[in-house]
Amino acid sequence: MRGVDDVLVRLPQAVATVVLRPAVGAVRLGGRAVEGATLATVDVVLGSRAATEVVDRVLDSALVRHALSRALAGPLVEEVSREVVRHRVLERTTETVLSGPAMDAIVERVLAEGVVERAVARVLEGPELERVAGAAIDSPAMERLVARAIDSRLVDETVARLLENEDLWVLVEEIAQSPAVTDAITQQSMGFADQVADGMRARSRSADAWLERAARRALRRPPAPLPPEAPDR
Amino acid sequence: MPARARIVPERAREVATRVHGKAMPGTETPAYQGLVTRTIAFAVDAAVINLVALAVGVAVGLALSILDLPSGVETALYAVGGVVYFLWTVGYFVTCWSANGETPGNRLLHIRVCDADDGTPLSPWRSFLRLVFLTLAALPLFAGFLPILFDDRRRGLHDMLAGTVVVGADPAEPPRAKSRSPSAAEA
Repeated sequence: MRGVDDVLVRLPQAVATVVLRPAVGAVRLGGRAVEGATLATVDVVLGSRAATEVVDRVLDSALVRHALSRALAGPLVEEVSREVVRHRVLERTTETVLSGPAMDAIVERVLAEGVVERAVARVLEGPELERVAGAAIDSPAMERLVARAIDSRLVDETVARLLENEDLWVLVEEIAQSPAVTDAITQQSMGFADQVADGMRARSRSADAWLERAARRALRRPPAPLPPEAPDR
Repeated sequence: MPARARIVPERAREVATRVHGKAMPGTETPAYQGLVTRTIAFAVDAAVINLVALAVGVAVGLALSILDLPSGVETALYAVGGVVYFLWTVGYFVTCWSANGETPGNRLLHIRVCDADDGTPLSPWRSFLRLVFLTLAALPLFAGFLPILFDDRRRGLHDMLAGTVVVGADPAEPPRAKSRSPSAAEA
């Protein structure tokens, strides 16, 4: 009994299905046709000169600038930035660029064109390097670094090793016996002797003048004419 | 021949001084040197002369000490030594004064002896005469040097007699050479 009931229940459904299937197919077919026609219409519209003109006018209008200004002033920028960071867009982009053949080509091109050499020459000749070096040398950090280096054991050890080196003493001996050094020492000695002699000359000339003044005063004679400057060095 | 410094008018000298910043070469008034400076220079020369003589005397004496010489020879050697000392002293001054007017002492003090008229170095004969006059000036208790204190050109008796003056010397500048007479140049 139960099987008969099932048949009685399913039979209308089966009949309905069979009867309605062509209609459903027709409806689907019609939908596809409408969709295709719509897309074709859109393509025609987008490819038309009018659409291009519309886009140009919209982009040239104040509306776009206003919208852009509002968007940049609003929270959109921060939101976009957060999304960019959240989805690691920059990392992925960089990785893609670096691992791709484009980067190799760019590097090859840069090296082949001598860009590196020009950049190095520009840096060396420009004032920037001096500025940076000057700032680095004058900085307190550099002073601290030098002070630490001097206070470190490294310097003591370096000096000790240098002093143990026989070549150093050979070098010192060579320098000490070099004509430049001996000349400098001789000149310094001569300079000192000259200073002493200059002092003696000045004092003797003062004594000359004093003695003559005294002698002329004693004999009531007029003072001697002023002598010209002595031609001392 | 009168000194060039006397020939050039005072006005020309002033103009030269203004234009060149210093007086024309050869026209500037020399810096005559006084008694103290000259005495120091002479003392240095005396020290040089005596040190050399002492060194030579010691060397000769040591060399002779190993020889047993008769007393007559020793006396003769002393006499020879005295003559050599005298010649050395005379030669020292005559050579230096006639060369460029500068003895070592003069050079130290930057002074030189020169002809009073043209500023050139002395001839050997005049140098010798000056040395003789200098000795004479020293004999009356150095009174011959007193005119240095009063004379406008700071000349002592020996300077006046020998026609010389003592002036400042620029060490970087060589002494003026004695000008030749036209006849001498032609010869």
